[in-house]
Amino acid sequence: MPSIKNILYYSFHPVQLRSMIQWKVWHEPVHRRDTSQESKELTTCFHYLNMTSRSFAAVIQELNPDMLVPIALFYLVLRGLDTIEDDMTIPIEKKEPMLRDFDKYMKTDGWTFTGNGPNEKDRDLLVHFDEVIVELKKLKKNYYDIIEDITIKMANGMADYALAAENNKGVETVPQYEEYCHYVAGLVGEGLTRLFVAGNWANPALLERMELTESMGQFLQKTNIIRDVHEDFLDKRRFWPTEIWSKYVDKWEDLFEPANRTKALHCSSEMVLNALKHADECLFYMAGIREQSVFNFVAIPQSMAIATIDLIFQNPAIFYSHIKITKGDACQLMIESTQNLRVVCDTFRRYTRKIAKKNDPRDPHFLEISAACGKIEQFIETLFPTQDPKKAALVAEQQNEEQGAEFKENLILVGGIVGVLLLISTIMIGVAWIAGARFDLMFNGANQTVSAGPTTPAAITGTNDEL
Amino acid sequence: MATEKHQQKLSLGRVVVIGGCGFLGHHVVNLLLRSWSCSHVCVLDLQCTKNRRPESDGVEYVDANITDSDQLVKEFGRIKPDVRVNIDGTRNVVTACQQTGVKALVFTSSASIMSDNRNDLINANETYPVIRGKMQSEYYSETKAEAESIALAANRSETAPNLLTASIRPSGIFGEGDMQAIYHMVNIYEQGKHNVQIGENHNLFDFTYVENVAHAHLLAARALLVTAAAETQPLDHERVDGEAFLVTNGQPVYFWDFTRAVWHAAGSDKGPGSAWVMSRETGLMLGFLSEVYFGLVRKPATLNRQRIIYSCMTRYYDITKARRRLGYEPLVGLDVGVQRAVAWTLEQRKKEKKA
Repeated sequence: MPSIKNILYYSFHPVQLRSMIQWKVWHEPVHRRDTSQESKELTTCFHYLNMTSRSFAAVIQELNPDMLVPIALFYLVLRGLDTIEDDMTIPIEKKEPMLRDFDKYMKTDGWTFTGNGPNEKDRDLLVHFDEVIVELKKLKKNYYDIIEDITIKMANGMADYALAAENNKGVETVPQYEEYCHYVAGLVGEGLTRLFVAGNWANPALLERMELTESMGQFLQKTNIIRDVHEDFLDKRRFWPTEIWSKYVDKWEDLFEPANRTKALHCSSEMVLNALKHADECLFYMAGIREQSVFNFVAIPQSMAIATIDLIFQNPAIFYSHIKITKGDACQLMIESTQNLRVVCDTFRRYTRKIAKKNDPRDPHFLEISAACGKIEQFIETLFPTQDPKKAALVAEQQNEEQGAEFKENLILVGGIVGVLLLISTIMIGVAWIAGARFDLMFNGANQTVSAGPTTPAAITGTNDEL
Repeated sequence: MATEKHQQKLSLGRVVVIGGCGFLGHHVVNLLLRSWSCSHVCVLDLQCTKNRRPESDGVEYVDANITDSDQLVKEFGRIKPDVRVNIDGTRNVVTACQQTGVKALVFTSSASIMSDNRNDLINANETYPVIRGKMQSEYYSETKAEAESIALAANRSETAPNLLTASIRPSGIFGEGDMQAIYHMVNIYEQGKHNVQIGENHNLFDFTYVENVAHAHLLAARALLVTAAAETQPLDHERVDGEAFLVTNGQPVYFWDFTRAVWHAAGSDKGPGSAWVMSRETGLMLGFLSEVYFGLVRKPATLNRQRIIYSCMTRYYDITKARRRLGYEPLVGLDVGVQRAVAWTLEQRKKEKKA
């Protein structure tokens, strides 16, 4: 049931309500998961997918039949890894080797794990991981190999971070920050791109330009890290690199002091600037996708990310609350992200301009943020140029002929308006005069009131003082 | 931004900078001395009084009028330059280069020659037409366009096949020594007229820090010398000689953002959304009325329609060609450039007020 707060909100935001209804009523998935042909284990897998991921589950299940299962299982494997990494009740001596051996577990028939703490939200997934393993074994070998390779890389990255965190080494430099994002998001992107290309759903050239894939992951991860700063702070975790925040405050916790809001906002602007640099490459990446359901799958999170950046930019609320884009906006974004690249580019440009509008000249990164927005707009122009240089010459010539005429046109226009006003005034005065108005008396009266003012002594001294 | 420190200094031989005491010219001289190796640097300018390097730098300053072709040929014959960087080009300079065996001529053009001063230029590249004649409403752009065509036509010409030429088309140059763009903006701020915005501020504009323009000139000079020394002619897609290159900071920004960055650097503490936004149409109407009024009192109008049009125009360029063929990458970012330029301008205005 919608809460009263929601009803109030949407009655004042009918456009958002409209988007929600539109999405619910008119959205037709490109593909629908066919449950009739599924094994018992696969149905269980989708059950856990729906349990573990709110946002991703729906998009994954609209993928084409070839990509559907590999990507769903890929997601569950990574979620399984995450559940071990996240669990603070598992001691590091046990956690580190478990992470590094995870690729072996996912090949072992019947492997399950019951050692998660009772509060770990996805512990059920690992308790029933044997069913995921059954389905993993049915995958085409080339798909399985990709999932395995990424699992090994990510598990080792996580193990390294778990060790570092044990020694209280947080993220210090910007390269370290980006390396962290690489392990938790860039690698997922790498796996997905390789799966898409293996299935011939994406241009193989994407494999030659892996920096584009990397940007897809970095953009999403960095956006989340900026948005979740307060939540992570409460959980005693920090992902913002010291290299950046230490320019604004001396101690990490000072960033959340209400007295330091301006400094904190400047700091968040630098984080936003750092995230925005990936946006153009994300658009470039999407140009390499060849199939609608895969396009929707990659485009939705990216559109959400640029909208989230608009939401968190220059917004002090990120330092004391957890903010999210509204459901209405999310539906609007999903509608726009399930069409084509041109529509997604329009969305990106719209949000880029909203970001630019909030940009504050007093912010130390004002001009750089403006340039980052400009870079996104310029890139969209390279994908979909508005101008054609060949036509430019012709257009210029046409305009040229009109130019001389314009000054005259303006003159006639203004002259016409002034003329009409004068005519009306004359008629009105004339009518009044014929009706017997005494204009001579009116002017006499005016002179008297005007001359009455300055003759008072106070007014004269006042003027003198000023002089 | 490209780092120049780690590179070995490249050689340019004997270099003449015409207009080397001017705004752009003296930045070219500074950069030559700092980052390049030259056997001789000579400046030709109408009057070599301002922006001079200290005596110890060994730059030769010659008072010369480039409209006097005899003097020009005489000076070139004496200096025997390899490279000519031309800030104010005319036919005489080209002829003098041809007669005295100069190898490379880099001409300073302007990106404005591609604009009709009315229509947008959106991510324009060198394939866009140069606007000439009746269509070109700005006299400055018309002369630049004419001069550029003379300079480029002299590349490997039949009469003097050994002279190679190239043209640099910068957009919106600003920096220390600039008495126009930044100076004007600071002026608006000091008069308290900085609280207006015309249009939506969606229009991206390319401003270019002067040192980056100087850098592009020297890269072009170097490329021409390398071409001259090569046995074979370059392939079309890597050719520099006979070519024009758009040069910007590669950082188009929203027009009013640039002015606000300047105003902030000049002392303004206005936040976003504090400006009074006037639509382009209202602006044009006011501009027109101002033109009529100042026309009647016979004074030049401070506010006119062209200024309104400029501030609402999208005008930014694609500099891929300069990046690929010249290896150009801006040395100084836009915001550092603004800081330097505004600091210089404030200093300059302080001096003026004292004087």
